[in-house]
Amino acid sequence: MSAEKSTLCEENHFRDFYLKHVQSANNFAYYKCGDDEAALDLVQDAFTKIWENCSKIDFSKVKTYLFTSINNLFLNNIKHQKVVLRYAKDAPNLDTNNQSPEYLFEEEEFKQKLTKAIASLSEAQREVFLLNRIDGKKYREIAELLDISQKTVEKRMSGALQLLRAQIENI
Amino acid sequence: MKNEKEILKWLNNELSSEEIEDLKQSENLQTLEKIAHYASQLETPKVDAHAALEAFKAKNHSKKKTKVRTLDFKALYRVAAVLVVMLTSAYFLFFNNTKSFETQIAQTKTVTLPDNSEVILNAASKLTFNEKKWADKRALTLEGEAYFKVQKGQTFSVNTTAGVVTVLGTQFNVKERKNYFEVNCYEGLVSVTYNNETIKLPPGKTFRVINGIIENVEDINAQNPSWIQQESSFNKIPLNQVIAELERQYDIKIKVKGVDTSKLFTGSFTHTDKEIALQAVTIPLKLSYRIEGKTIIFYTYDVK
Repeated sequence: MSAEKSTLCEENHFRDFYLKHVQSANNFAYYKCGDDEAALDLVQDAFTKIWENCSKIDFSKVKTYLFTSINNLFLNNIKHQKVVLRYAKDAPNLDTNNQSPEYLFEEEEFKQKLTKAIASLSEAQREVFLLNRIDGKKYREIAELLDISQKTVEKRMSGALQLLRAQIENI
Repeated sequence: MKNEKEILKWLNNELSSEEIEDLKQSENLQTLEKIAHYASQLETPKVDAHAALEAFKAKNHSKKKTKVRTLDFKALYRVAAVLVVMLTSAYFLFFNNTKSFETQIAQTKTVTLPDNSEVILNAASKLTFNEKKWADKRALTLEGEAYFKVQKGQTFSVNTTAGVVTVLGTQFNVKERKNYFEVNCYEGLVSVTYNNETIKLPPGKTFRVINGIIENVEDINAQNPSWIQQESSFNKIPLNQVIAELERQYDIKIKVKGVDTSKLFTGSFTHTDKEIALQAVTIPLKLSYRIEGKTIIFYTYDVK
């Protein structure tokens, strides 16, 4: 890492960094704005900021810088939209053995409810919840990316879970 | 929600499968399990990382170039040199408003200054002044002899190598020649600074320095210097200064043979007739002269 630290300004290193993080950065941006084009714009702008300031950014902080930049750019520029996510086409149901039409229908209904519930989460809760669920990130990693404490992440996560459960069970 | 910590640990993949079973026993986790499972099946827009990188590069291309480019000092020096040349020439073209007037031998010239003051230059003299600064400061430089009719206004100063003449508005004559400095005041009050000493000249008075010695001169009655009427007048002036004036008024060279040039001369000579002028100078001093082309030789009677 220390070797890379001084060389973020070098095109090769920057390219590696870009390729490694563009997807997760885009996911994060998407959790925020719910619009894939706007998300990519945010990500590109954030990378541009990093490139322009490559000599000033400590490499160990650059990931956090990336996510913080996206967040700031989002707050500055993007009108909030409802975040509606789609399921992967070949997403397996929880119980892969049960193929009865009734069960399949129920699960489909559950999925619908879940997307609605996720859309109703607060932004802070949603980004933590989705970073954990979709990106499979640990709380510690999320805390680092968002430059907040792990306790805060856990609080938001648990809040998100409670809200989701309450909403789904009530509908 | 009970077991909050355990649930969080579970979703953070920190529990073993046995611990998960225990957790499921203690609480109804069906909904949560479904939430956890289906949420992770959600899809985000896939980014084609390489295409995005290309787009990113294209967007930042110009910036990258300027970032990498180091200062080209050679080009910088070249540009700087051109700029310096242009600025200096522009300065001399547009800002150096020094005006200069010069007269040749046997020539006089009338110059009108920006404030309508008038200067009449006697032969072989030079006058320079800055036209642009004239409104702020009426100052000019004189080499030779000139007669000034100064309009009323702020201080008007004439700088010569011998001394500075300052006035407010008068008529006066300044004559600055080799080893000779004379200021005549015809009107108003003239102040002459010579060797850091300032002398005030009222009308009719003359300040004269010959070979560094200040001389007393009788009052003058004329309204303006005689050379304006094409005549040079002298009042107890050494012969060499008279000869120098003759050489300036007529394009001639004068040599002397056995003549004491420190003899004082009082009188005048005309600027219009060389023969008469030469006689006017030589006869009173009991001298004779002969002409050899452009050279005139002065000699005493007894030498011949």
